[in-house]
Amino acid sequence: MAGLKEIQNRIRSIQDTKKITNAMYLISSTKLKKARRDLEATEPYFYTLQGALERILRHLPDMEHEFLENPNRGKKTVALLVITADRGMAGGYNHNVLRMAEKRIQEEKQKGRRCRLFVVGQVGRQYFAARRIPIEECFRYSAQNPTFNRARWITETLLVEFQAGGIDELCVFYTRMINGMRSEAAVKQILPVCRFEMKEPDDVMHENFEILPDAQEALSAIIPNYTAGFLYGALVESFCSEQNARMEAMQAATDNANELLRDLGVLYNRARQAAITQEITEVSSGARAQKRSREEERRL
Amino acid sequence: MAQFELKIITSNRVFYAGSCHCLILPATDGERAVMAHHENAILAVCPGEMRLQCEENGPWTAAVLGQGFCEVANNRVTLLSDTVERPEEIDRVRAQEAYERARERLRQKQNVREYHLSQAALARALSRLREVDKRL
Repeated sequence: MAGLKEIQNRIRSIQDTKKITNAMYLISSTKLKKARRDLEATEPYFYTLQGALERILRHLPDMEHEFLENPNRGKKTVALLVITADRGMAGGYNHNVLRMAEKRIQEEKQKGRRCRLFVVGQVGRQYFAARRIPIEECFRYSAQNPTFNRARWITETLLVEFQAGGIDELCVFYTRMINGMRSEAAVKQILPVCRFEMKEPDDVMHENFEILPDAQEALSAIIPNYTAGFLYGALVESFCSEQNARMEAMQAATDNANELLRDLGVLYNRARQAAITQEITEVSSGARAQKRSREEERRL
Repeated sequence: MAQFELKIITSNRVFYAGSCHCLILPATDGERAVMAHHENAILAVCPGEMRLQCEENGPWTAAVLGQGFCEVANNRVTLLSDTVERPEEIDRVRAQEAYERARERLRQKQNVREYHLSQAALARALSRLREVDKRL
């Protein structure tokens, strides 16, 4: 059995850790509340935007546009925008997204394409730096507090690259909330906009849409807007998932600490009891020995 | 009195949902009005002032729009924009500051993306300022 002092030290250190995990739990739960509110506020926009774009693409005449899928344009460079957190301690949150992105990089390498990485969040930056995978650009301070301005900035960076021919495809790796409790890593190709990927429902009546001022210009205005909207939604959803993951991880850590403390408490009490019992035995046996020796002295 | 269903959605809220009589939008090639039974159309919307009349001969409500687009289908109109603000929500001081910041940035040497962003910021600030000044 371990010494009393050692057990006491362990209990104290676990108590300290528990204080930290508990505080982190509380912080992330308040942040989660804010993130959920943001997510709920942006959800109608996010989904209407996607629906509207699908609809537009369905009704688009056959045309070429720089943002649309073009079989003549070779795909040499793929840009990956990976959204991670600024900090760890969030269970599998960062890991899932990063693993997915890394797998994609390997696949693209086998196909002989070049990958350019755009990373949001500290954790992703450090992860790729540690693996010596070069990062094109990292958008700092944007994982903590997603705003539309940040999304605009990221969109502008990527669109300019896309138009200049620096990248031929853009995929976003982010974490999607499935419902209030569960989330999963997801990937979505944003550029070029793929018009054949969307399945056409048969029962939809084919209405004619007039596109004003004309299809070229409308797409030039709508697609950047769609990209910014999508990125904003992805940032908000990722932030919400991050807080959710961290809250769960910290809850589990606090529960673990409680369990450990209970076990150690039992162990400590037992050790203390054993020590007391031993002391009493020593004292009483000592006293008995003394008594016996005194009696022997008297007899002599 | 013909009306149509209008939904105005921005990145962080549903700005308006209800019936509408006439809607005037800033398009990339000038202003466009949408009334009931407008033909199906998709409009690209640029930053500027939007006006909205809920009932015939009723009062006009103004709002400042950001970048976005508008979809008209079967007498239902969906307007998606990254920002929509009522004039009373606009902080004049903030808009003025944004305007000055954008002007200053435009004066400096910039790369293409910074230039685009500053230009967009300037357009937003200008349309906000114009709307606020109109109320004074």
